[in-house]
Parts: sequence; C-alpha cells; structure tokens
Amino acid sequence: MSELKALRDMRPAVPQAELEAMRMTARERFVAGTRARRWRRLPLLAGGLTAAVAVIGAAALVLTGPGAVPGQHDRGGHTRTVVTAAWTVREDAGGAVTIYLRQYTDPAGLQQTLRADGVDAIVHPGLYVPWPLIVGGMPLPPLQLGYPVCYYAATGLAPQAVQRAVVTFMHRQGLPARLIIHPDAMPHGSALFMDFLAGRPRDPKNGNTGVWAWPPVVLTNDRLPACGGPQS
Amino acid sequence: MTIDTQPSDADLIAGSLAEPGLFTAVFDRHSAGILRYVYARLGPELAEDVTAETFLAAFRCRGRYDGAWPDARPWLYGIAVRQIRRHRRVEARRLRLLRSALADGPAEDHSDRVVERVTAARLGPRLAAVLAELPRQDRELLLLFAWAELSYAEAAAALGTTASAVKARLHRIRVRMRRELGGSNPMDEENGDE
Repeated sequence: MSELKALRDMRPAVPQAELEAMRMTARERFVAGTRARRWRRLPLLAGGLTAAVAVIGAAALVLTGPGAVPGQHDRGGHTRTVVTAAWTVREDAGGAVTIYLRQYTDPAGLQQTLRADGVDAIVHPGLYVPWPLIVGGMPLPPLQLGYPVCYYAATGLAPQAVQRAVVTFMHRQGLPARLIIHPDAMPHGSALFMDFLAGRPRDPKNGNTGVWAWPPVVLTNDRLPACGGPQS
Repeated sequence: MTIDTQPSDADLIAGSLAEPGLFTAVFDRHSAGILRYVYARLGPELAEDVTAETFLAAFRCRGRYDGAWPDARPWLYGIAVRQIRRHRRVEARRLRLLRSALADGPAEDHSDRVVERVTAARLGPRLAAVLAELPRQDRELLLLFAWAELSYAEAAAALGTTASAVKARLHRIRVRMRRELGGSNPMDEENGDE
C-alpha cells in the first residue's frame, strides 16, 4: 500500500443516509440561487389576495413577508443543522434560523427543533387565520378553504414592524418554502406561530403534503391562539 | 455498437445559456461527487453550503466553459477548490480533528483487507499531519488526485495548469510525503497507484 492508497482510505466519507439529504438541501439552495431574481415580494397581510386564494386551491396559502430579501443567502458559518425528510432547520452563526419546508408534516418535531434553536415557536396542527382578515386595507369575508378553520383575534399579532424584523418568508411554486427567522428581534414573551395541517392535500407539482392557512406570524404572547370569530 | 444518447456536460452547459434550467442536470450528475469531496475537506457543517456555492459559481460563469471538455468534472472541481480556499481555518481544524480521530484507532471494519487496514491505521495520523503541513497548492493537487480521483489531465484542467506540470509536482509531493513519513513504506508493493 502506498501513501496515496492510505490517503484514499482515510478520506472522511459522508454517511450514505446523510448524503441524499445534504445533496437535496444543496440542490434547493442552488436552484433558489439561480432563480434569485425571480423572487417576488408580497406584503404580509396586505395585497395579493387573488394570488393567495389561487394558491389555497392548489395546495397551500403562500405569501411572502414584507421583509423578504430576494435571493438572500446565508453563507456558511452555520452552527447547527437538523435535516428530516420533511424539513431542514439551520441555525446560523449570527443567530438567524433558516427553515426549508419540503413537506408540511411533523409539526411537533419542527416546534421542538425551533425551540432548541432559540425560537419560541408554536407549530400547531390545524388551519389558523387571524380575524378580522384585512388584506390590502380591506376587511374580507371568511375564507372558503374547504377545511375547518380556527379564526383567532388579530389583536394577538405583534405589530407589522416586529413581523418584518422577525420573519422573512419566501416561496415559489415547485420549490420548498423558505423562512428566515431572527429570534433576537422577537419581543420578550412573544412567540412565532405556524399553523400546520399535515398530510393533505398533495400538490403533484412539488410533492408537498399538507397545507398552511397563513404564513408564520409573531404573536404578542406565547400561548396558542383561542378560536373565535366566524365559522370557528 | 453503443449509441450514447445522453447529452454531454458540455452540451448541457451550452444549452443552459438559452435554457438555464438545463444546468440542473449538471448539478444532478455531479453534485454527489462534489459534495463528498467538500465534505471530506471541510466537514458536514459547510458541505451543503460550499456545494451549492460551487454550482452557483459554475452557473454564473457557464458562458466561459470550454466546450472541448465534454465532462465538466475538472471544471467543477476547480471551482470547488476555489470555494474551499475561502474556509482555510475550517480545513485546518478539520485536519487536526482527522489526525486525532485516526490516532484513536481505526473504525470498526469487517473487511478482509487486514494488512491494508492496519497499514492505513498506522499511517493515518502521520498522513493527516503531513497533509496539514503541505503548502496549500500541493495539498489541493494531492487531494484532487487522491480524494476526487481525478487523472493527471483532469487535475491539470481543474487547477489551470498542464498535465506534465501536475505529474512533476505530484512526484515531488510524494517524495516529500515519504520523507516525512519516515522513509519508504514497507507495505508499498509498488509506487504506481495512479
């Protein structure tokens, strides 16, 4: 055996189980990077209703937060990554937490992982919509989602400035939803809230399962919102 | 007679100038190899990032790809090497860890290549130490050859030099390695692994 052979043998190998997950994440980042210019910015809780309703019909309601930075990439230096078949959560050295959602499943696991990364998160099964629902400054009638919906008091939402500082939410058809959370910007006692109806329906275009009723929001407290309002 | 109906990397890259989505096929072909290489050099923390950045950098400069190379591997590894350079401290730490891990003993291995395994275990920590002390350019070349398993010509293309220069440099590196490992390796049946 020569030193070259020994060198080949000592090459650290990627565990096979991890290789595909890592490759998939790298692929998402690559594809998102090539399309960076195409990211659109839509204001949270304002505008984009037509597009939003259309997306509900397809698989999930997806909006882009007002703080979204199109094409923004965290570059290396992350301190912790948790990869499952459904999602990837990365905590960056700077404290920001990035979530890639491939499938809307395992809300309990996601909540636990986010909390371990310092995000006081509530990831709860079910469809939750703040009420009154005001989009583009206009109050709207209850959504016809075809699923039971919990309407909760919009007064429990943190101010828009806080939402913008904490949550960046990007999604494009065919790509996993991507969120960047800044836990440091969350007021004391607040919580990031994500509703999460797992398992249905399936979007044949991107393989996602499950739906969200509303993009993640920051609540003024860390309790699960109580249902009230219409059709609850 | 075999008819190869698969487009070459060069075809895909040329096509991606008009249809950018085609470049994803290049990613799918080569990302596992690049990821393994980056993982080996930088570890799991940066493997995904650097792999993605490598292909993004390749995508951005695909207009300058030399179509005379049907296989894009050398080009991609060359870009990966440049991306890895940005994480020198991480690599140095990685090599220190590798040295410690190898010094702790070989991992469980049920292969019947006992002699090779014992030899690798004996050489491992010293090799890791030598690797850490090599000049950057020499380490890059050696690992392209040993870990990415590129040929002389491919390594030369990756590093923007000639195959004869690569061969000469590699010979010099191996002489140095043998010297620093304490002379010739008694298990070395022959010197021509390549």
